[in-house]
Amino acid sequence: MTSVATAKIDLAPHSAAFAADPYATYALMRALPGAYYYEEIDTWMLTRMADVEAVALNKTMLRNNEAFVSEEAQRAQQKALNFHDMPHHERFVQVNLLESEGATHDRLRKVVFREFTPAMISRQREAIQNFVDGLLDHLCERDEIDFVDDFAAHVPGHIIGRVLGVPDEDCPQLRHWSEEVVRFFDPGRGDADKARAEQATKAFYEYLLTLLAVREKAPREDLLSRLIAHRNEGRLSQDELVSTAMLILMAGHGSTIDVLGSGMHALLTFPDQHARLRADPGLMKTAVQEMFRFDSPLPFFHRFATEETEVAGQSFPAGTRFGLLYGAANRDPARFENPNLFDVGRMPNRHMAFGGGAHFCLGNHLARLDMDVIFSSLNRRFRTIALADEPVVYKPGLSVRGPKALRVAWTRA
Amino acid sequence: MIKLTFVQADGSRIAALAEAGDTVMQAAVAAGVSAIAAECGGACACGTCHCVMTPEWAKRLPAAAADEVDMLEFVIDPQPNSRLSCQVTVDELMDGIEIHVPESQI
Repeated sequence: MTSVATAKIDLAPHSAAFAADPYATYALMRALPGAYYYEEIDTWMLTRMADVEAVALNKTMLRNNEAFVSEEAQRAQQKALNFHDMPHHERFVQVNLLESEGATHDRLRKVVFREFTPAMISRQREAIQNFVDGLLDHLCERDEIDFVDDFAAHVPGHIIGRVLGVPDEDCPQLRHWSEEVVRFFDPGRGDADKARAEQATKAFYEYLLTLLAVREKAPREDLLSRLIAHRNEGRLSQDELVSTAMLILMAGHGSTIDVLGSGMHALLTFPDQHARLRADPGLMKTAVQEMFRFDSPLPFFHRFATEETEVAGQSFPAGTRFGLLYGAANRDPARFENPNLFDVGRMPNRHMAFGGGAHFCLGNHLARLDMDVIFSSLNRRFRTIALADEPVVYKPGLSVRGPKALRVAWTRA
Repeated sequence: MIKLTFVQADGSRIAALAEAGDTVMQAAVAAGVSAIAAECGGACACGTCHCVMTPEWAKRLPAAAADEVDMLEFVIDPQPNSRLSCQVTVDELMDGIEIHVPESQI
């Protein structure tokens, strides 16, 4: 199963050119008759919306292939991923809701789904607004800031910490741990990053144990207290409780920072669209939806085929690994008119930035609410916002998409 | 083809044609019924394809499975005849069905 055309496209996710414009490469890959084989990670990459959607919704395609390979193969896989000497990471990060399938996934998802419904999430609006107002009260004194580091990076982790029930003063620490834990997944990580990821997972675990003991004695109206009740009623184990709490923090923290940065960048790159949104704040919902499409912050996920299957017109054996390039599918001209234009009123806008199928992003309403509050506040409080430094450099790699920094100059309203 | 009619919150109607085996959600999305968000794509994992059947049709359709019943608890303003449109499969007997969709799913 080789494709001659594949050889002509150089997929180099760690190159500066790819970080600057992954969409040019995706367009070339999308034009191939079938899937693109990416030898480096032995994965068939899918870039067309129809193919990505079909695989995400196919119940025989799983994130986890454990049930289909021998224990020996699992150990080899683990060794290749290089976490065999990271006991806390292996226990709480490699095994969680996201990595589970079938009955375990359904059980864990059911426990936390109610926590992330629009009705539950909307209760956080006032807290998010207050936190954002507090940050902007300080930042508005300055003429120029790094939108990512000075502002966006402070919000999602703090809000997720609040949802979990972590005291406000501990939220910055939580954010720090989350960033250290996900270092493991950086393609360019070294041994030092691995050690820090393991250390942070352990510290986070120990912190959670202490906090859980406090909440067990005196439950509050927060997610951790409710998870304790679920655990006591036998719906999830202690380790599942810990891994779920860690996942909730990690899954929504970095990705929301990234899309806040790329969303702001899109507004500044398409000033007509920013003006339109300022003139009609009722467009905020569609604008946020478009920000997720335009630069999807988690553009790459994978699935394993558990049986022989046809994808993108080709036949593949069981065990094949597929790459779902959501970032590419979300720019597919077969689904979106003028896909490379940022349109704050785009409708319909059925993109896959939150994935699809059983693993559909649990936290999407929380991320959207953060974005809604932030961009509404910015448009109210600042008369002008402009790019202060170009070019804007994006993070390298296949798995994330977001600006490293975004210097903006602003004038108060 | 089987004819379905979606009645939107403002009373306007959208006619849709479906094949047996399609889901009601797929028919709604293809016909441009914007109130059916169906964000997870039809995996009973998001609760954004809520619709309400008339009492007569509700009786005639196969009952909701456990996952669907669980998810219906979380939709906005659930009704006794609420369904998730991704979990209802169209068949020939449904020709002429009228399905009410809410103003918004979130």
